[in-house]
Amino acid sequence: MQFGTINLSKSTFLILLSVLLHTQLAAQNLNTKQQDSLYLSRPFAEKVEQIKKSAGKAFGNYKGNHLSLFGALSFNKQLLNDKGINAPVNYMYDEVNENAFKTGYTGGLRIDGIYKDQHLYSISAAINKINTGNYYLNKYSLSPFVEDYTHFKADNNFTTLTIALHYKKLLPLNDMVKYKFYAVAGPSIDYKIFRINSDNLVNGAGNRVMISGDLGAEFDNNDYYTIYAHYKLGANLWKSTVPVQLNRFEIGMTIKAKDLF
Amino acid sequence: MKNLYTLLIAVTIIMGLGACNKETASTQTEVMTKMLANKNWYLDYTIQGNSVKSYVGQTTYFVTYLKNGTTSDSDGLIGSYTVEMVNNKSQIHIQAKTTNGNVIEYIYDIISIGDKKMIISKADTSQSTPAKFYFTSN
Repeated sequence: MQFGTINLSKSTFLILLSVLLHTQLAAQNLNTKQQDSLYLSRPFAEKVEQIKKSAGKAFGNYKGNHLSLFGALSFNKQLLNDKGINAPVNYMYDEVNENAFKTGYTGGLRIDGIYKDQHLYSISAAINKINTGNYYLNKYSLSPFVEDYTHFKADNNFTTLTIALHYKKLLPLNDMVKYKFYAVAGPSIDYKIFRINSDNLVNGAGNRVMISGDLGAEFDNNDYYTIYAHYKLGANLWKSTVPVQLNRFEIGMTIKAKDLF
Repeated sequence: MKNLYTLLIAVTIIMGLGACNKETASTQTEVMTKMLANKNWYLDYTIQGNSVKSYVGQTTYFVTYLKNGTTSDSDGLIGSYTVEMVNNKSQIHIQAKTTNGNVIEYIYDIISIGDKKMIISKADTSQSTPAKFYFTSN
């Protein structure tokens, strides 16, 4: 019996030894190119590796990121001050002025996460179809012939791409486990895409980029979906002869991408 | 995730590059030509100094400017026109022939122009108060 035990140990030892030898032989069984590469310097690959490591360090504090899709209705009105226009053009005030909010829509992607385990944030990219009421602050007249006109006619229908970065604060309401309420605030940048009407370009009035300050509230229903209401107050990013103040209310819903696909 | 960050950075750069103003030197004349063209402009008033003449409701003078740069009026003048910016003034420059075949050329300063209302004055330095013409388009 003892003899048998010794045999079993020996055989186990032999099997382990053969596996080890095989592994070592396999490790040494490299082709010429692979063997060369071990001795050659690889600056590009090393740089990529270095970037990966630094990116890992840089974004290491951004955790729990999840991707969501969102859609929203927007209500828009812009205030226009055409004081800087000196071109001798007139637009009948009553025909172009609309002191009202008009409806548009928006859709996009959003990443929600937490920074350093403390600060909730969301980054979103969206495309917006903006339909606005244009309210002109100034009226002019060339009495008695031309009554109440403006020097400028703004587009009231345009499309923008938006990037927004919002800070989220969990509000101490309800049980805060199933139903979460957040207050959100942060900046966003809109870029007008497609052609701008030439009426909007006279005297350097044209401006494609708008920067906004966003403020809002969000309700997260047990991670199933989030309903939100945001107010955005925007202005031209660059100096313009026609300063614009764009007011937007957005009411929308986000759903996690993994729940949809 | 990394791809999304790259996309966000790319979009930001594109926004920055495209942020410049797209106005060109011809934008203002282009807008004014658009307002002027393909309409009949009916003379409603002429004002020179304190003298105001009204033609509202009368069969009176009208002028037509077409998109192809030609013009004609109710007096029988036919010719061409251009909208120009000269010394920071917006002007309509007209070269036409009378019914007798005489060539005439005249220039109007644009005081105000829109889709429906236009006020121009004769760019004539001999008069201390140049006549103003008030037109309405149909």
